[in-house]
Amino acid sequence: MCLAIPMQIESIDGFTARCQAKGVWRDVSLFMMQDEPPAVGDFVMVHVGYAIQKVTEADARTAWELFDQILEETRA
Amino acid sequence: MTDTSQAWLEKIRAFDFERTIKIMNVCGGHERSITHSGLRGALPEWLELIPGPGCPVCVCPEEDIYQAIRLALQDRAILVAYGDMLRVPVNVPKGDVRTLAEAQAAGADVRPIASPTEARAIAEANPDRQVVFFAAGFETTTAPVAALLAEGVPDNLSILLSGRLTWPAVAMLLGSFESSPASPGFDALVAPGHVSTVMGPEEWNFVVEQHNIPAAVAGFGTESLLAAFYSLLRQLKTGERFLDNCYLEVAHPGGNPTALRMMGAALDVVDANWRGIGSIPRSGYALKPAFAQHDARLRFPDHADPGRRRAGEMPPGCDCANVVLGKIYPNQCRIYGRACTPRHPIGPCMVSDEGACRIWWASGVRVAADA
Repeated sequence: MCLAIPMQIESIDGFTARCQAKGVWRDVSLFMMQDEPPAVGDFVMVHVGYAIQKVTEADARTAWELFDQILEETRA
Repeated sequence: MTDTSQAWLEKIRAFDFERTIKIMNVCGGHERSITHSGLRGALPEWLELIPGPGCPVCVCPEEDIYQAIRLALQDRAILVAYGDMLRVPVNVPKGDVRTLAEAQAAGADVRPIASPTEARAIAEANPDRQVVFFAAGFETTTAPVAALLAEGVPDNLSILLSGRLTWPAVAMLLGSFESSPASPGFDALVAPGHVSTVMGPEEWNFVVEQHNIPAAVAGFGTESLLAAFYSLLRQLKTGERFLDNCYLEVAHPGGNPTALRMMGAALDVVDANWRGIGSIPRSGYALKPAFAQHDARLRFPDHADPGRRRAGEMPPGCDCANVVLGKIYPNQCRIYGRACTPRHPIGPCMVSDEGACRIWWASGVRVAADA
């Protein structure tokens, strides 16, 4: 439940952003980002459907690699 | 393992400690990264990594799960909850409904969700039904509940809130409260990265300032975790003490100001019960009176049954409370891998993806430790 995953914003409609991570798309709430609103193209750390912080692209990619590893080992 | 990780590892191996050093983490995500990357095997023998109170599902009061089951079965509410919660058993006589999943199988309308926004969508799609969102979780998971309330929710949606704060559990282990144990059982603390992202890393200053114990906020990659371990060990070696932040890129000073404002507006911090552990001062969230109409604890009857045996306790034989407190490793529980497996979990630590038992099992630990 506490797993947060970085996603990239592809479009924004009000407080809802269409986000993508490695070919998976989700609607993400930007309601908790009002003090530092992200823009299309930005990467955000997403937790239970809410963006909680912006992240850099490099950090997003590192996190994705980590999840790939964990998934691979879980399946093994 | 990356070059940077390898470099951190070598710096850590260069230390020599003549006694065992215990570093505690308080986050299921940290424990998952540590276990799955095999860090324990790569680190020196004198360094022990202890999983502590990092699983909100594990400490969610048994009474709250029982109440959620009764709301679904008796009050015929649509009960929505994070998937982890659906398989956590309560203590009831054999044959009775033990979990939300069993309630669902018995005809109750129980639906797993992945986000509070789904709870709102379900309530909007079912205006003639009562919808209860059973919301267990630590700060990172409770903040979106506050955001949901701030944004506005339909009249037919109420919240059964079992939100918990992580730092008071650490404070209890460190002896900050009268009910605290004599020895904390660890030498240094890895503070949770995403809790710090929301609440601000400063929340963990008390570990250093009041208890003189090194603390470092870490992210979830091997590099960040190893950097944190190195910082903690160096602090222990030099005697210098400070709260280090090895997740600077995400956990900013002051946390997430929007989230903090919304939590302050919607939630009170109250004394709260942790399953198998007891009450910890100022460690839980409750809805503020302004949101009373959305408080499932006020909207529905209290189904607590004073005659129910083992109400509030861990299941018989389950040592989950000691696993959560970092007093024993998962495979030191006598039912680990025997009666209790992910397929047939007995304790909440084997149910939740953030439970230490489940994480250890998923990474291949099959052997019970010698007692």
